[in-house]
Amino acid sequence: MRLRDLKGKITPADVILLFLLLAISISGLIFIDNVMPQGTEVIIDVNGKQVYMLPLNTDKSVKVKGPLGDTLVEIRDGKVRITESPCPNKICIKQGWIKRGAIVCLPNRIVVRVNSTKDGNRKVDAITG
Amino acid sequence: MLSQDNLRLALLSAYAIAIHGFEKLIPTPIPWLRFGLANIITLTAMVMYGFRAGMTITLIRVTVGSFFTGTFLGPAFLLSFGAGVVSTTSMGIVIKLMPRVFSPVGISLIGAMFHNITQLLLAYIVFIKRIEVVIILTPIILIIGILTGVMNGIVSGMLITGLNKYRSNDVNDVIVNP
Repeated sequence: MRLRDLKGKITPADVILLFLLLAISISGLIFIDNVMPQGTEVIIDVNGKQVYMLPLNTDKSVKVKGPLGDTLVEIRDGKVRITESPCPNKICIKQGWIKRGAIVCLPNRIVVRVNSTKDGNRKVDAITG
Repeated sequence: MLSQDNLRLALLSAYAIAIHGFEKLIPTPIPWLRFGLANIITLTAMVMYGFRAGMTITLIRVTVGSFFTGTFLGPAFLLSFGAGVVSTTSMGIVIKLMPRVFSPVGISLIGAMFHNITQLLLAYIVFIKRIEVVIILTPIILIIGILTGVMNGIVSGMLITGLNKYRSNDVNDVIVNP
């Protein structure tokens, strides 16, 4: 029942699977880091509907009304966070500041995400023929 | 099904529910990080007593667990139900089709991956509806899943080894197989 006994039980397939999965997820991480643009806009959705669109470079605090009550969203120094929320688990508050990606508050149905203004976010610098 | 089997399933389900509840008390650096410790019980039960045992325990754990947290039939329940069923099924298929190819560590990894992918997919369909949010979260969640999957697999493997040792020392076994 010790860790030592288990050593002989790990199969080659286990090791291959482990490294395959690690390779996939790490390359995914690198890919997203390069492809995903730095956001310029904070978009707040309630119940899948957009209610706010604010610039990330302007410090501001907004109150967002969700089904459970008001969620407080703060934008400062190019980062955004949720400071107050009526949800029971407060996971959204614990997530802290974000510069990209999103904070999701499932109980209060609020998504705070950082996006670039336009959909075709990366403009072409030059085309070489 | 023997009444002893029912008893065993009930006991294992109770373990799974207790572990599932206890896990929420463990502080984690990332808020949505979950260890999926209840999967240790599911996997152990499936390896030792078959697919039906594992699936029964998962269904009981998800349903009764949601009664305790008050999320029954809510979005969180849907995510946990769907992911639980898909991950248990995936582990069952691997055990059935490729016995002895993977150790419990590999099976647990497969279960963890299917659990995370289903959960992300359901979260996308039911709630987030923004593909870019899901794409950003996916690799991070998968890496965490790999770590917890390996950890759970190791514990499950130790548990299976221990239980098998105990089983072969069982008085009944000695009488049946002298």
